[in-house]
Amino acid sequence: MILRARPQSVFQRVRNSPIAFILTALALLPSQASIAAGTAAGTVIDNTAQLTYDIGGTPLSLNSNTVSVTVDERIDVVVTLQSPQVLVAGGDSNRSLLFRVTNTGNGSEDFLLAIDSNLTGDDFDPVPAVPAIYFDTDSSGDLSAGDVAYNPGVNDPQLAADAFIDILLLNDIPLSAANGETGLSQLTATSTTGSGNPGDVFANQGDGGSDAVVGTSGGQAADVGEYLVSDVAVSIVKSVLVADPFGGTQPVPGATLTYTITVEVTNSGTASGSAVNDPVPANTTYVPASIRLNGSTLTDSPDADAGEFDTVGVPSIVVRLGDLTQLSGPQTVTFQVTID
Amino acid sequence: MKTIQRLAIFSALALFTTGAVAQETAQEVPTGHLLVKTIVQKEEVVIDDNGDQKVQLVDARVVVPGDEVIYTVTFQNISDAAADNVVITNPIAADLVYVDGSAFGPGSNIVFSVDGGQTFAATNELSVTENGTTRPAEPRDFTHIRWQMQNEIPAGTQGVARFRARLQ
Repeated sequence: MILRARPQSVFQRVRNSPIAFILTALALLPSQASIAAGTAAGTVIDNTAQLTYDIGGTPLSLNSNTVSVTVDERIDVVVTLQSPQVLVAGGDSNRSLLFRVTNTGNGSEDFLLAIDSNLTGDDFDPVPAVPAIYFDTDSSGDLSAGDVAYNPGVNDPQLAADAFIDILLLNDIPLSAANGETGLSQLTATSTTGSGNPGDVFANQGDGGSDAVVGTSGGQAADVGEYLVSDVAVSIVKSVLVADPFGGTQPVPGATLTYTITVEVTNSGTASGSAVNDPVPANTTYVPASIRLNGSTLTDSPDADAGEFDTVGVPSIVVRLGDLTQLSGPQTVTFQVTID
Repeated sequence: MKTIQRLAIFSALALFTTGAVAQETAQEVPTGHLLVKTIVQKEEVVIDDNGDQKVQLVDARVVVPGDEVIYTVTFQNISDAAADNVVITNPIAADLVYVDGSAFGPGSNIVFSVDGGQTFAATNELSVTENGTTRPAEPRDFTHIRWQMQNEIPAGTQGVARFRARLQ
């Protein structure tokens, strides 16, 4: 089986290079550059130019009129799967997938949540539990006693600009699902103020009485999680450390990202032919010779050792872990990329 | 078309105001040898009668993060004498980032500040020190733009300075 660790999607949206000044309609497109939500809705930006000059040797100065621009609310949202592939058994109930809903707009927004488990591209359809959507109230990453069920229209999450909330989708796995089969389930978040085409305006619906404008997300976002029927339980955890060129931890161009992927068998089964296959995130560049397995260096070339930097197709880190059992203990793969 | 119309309107306003200033000078020391006016606009794509897409400038009353706005400063010498050492200084608001290469000003030397307008220099001469590390200045560091007119502005003539900035 192949364990495919999902890249941290927030780092797929790293800053683009500064774009040259081009007087075309392209310049109108909202920038993808900023990760943060941006200037708060309702902010007023004033501008006054100052003019100094000499007449007959006498220095003089004056100010222009002041022009003001008001910042409207931009509605944008991102949904990101947080859990790796969830290993399940046929007949399991209340198996959870963890998602994060982030308000990437610049104002406060309520979001309607919806689950869809009847997707194509999988082997079986998971069956949404009742209720199927929970807030991960205690931030445990799975369903716990204190987690609150979501009730559409009643407790739609309200998120401030840049804020996020973690959501659990619960599905039952059909008894008929066979070993090795996959099932997909999707979480969709939609702004209750409005969604539609980027640029659509909802007059006076923004923060502070501003207009609300639909951003590039269309005011709606979704992500899909996957269940895999497996007799063996394997956990895979991926984390990232950021080191910027200035000694800090900002994900700026030139920063080094160190990814750590830990794979572990957590029950009595054997995971045969396990491998980690992790694409290098978009807008980053792999740091040569940075692959480590349990602290030991693996070469980048495809040779006798367990790993390589695979440049065929999407550049990926490949590390073959072989047959794993609980006795194997956690297997730790690390590699580094730099942000372009 | 719209821009041309605007300039025409502005010229008319300027002429009208010239008369007004002339009347006031009888009562007080002249303060208005030059007129200066700022406008802020953004681009908007419109479909013309032929079905073609065209970009036109419209008033930027409201914007959303990621939008680019265009500030245009126009000035006119309404006095009888030439004005020397004409300098226009425009702040770049904290929520705005200067669009690299966008500053425009016929006959001017354009310099920038990264220290709140205390000192100005060409872009390649500016640097920023953060946490003890010095690096070349980037457009996001610019706090002010300055246009230094190279030649005198004769009586009755006008000039323009313009730049773009993106809302964070």
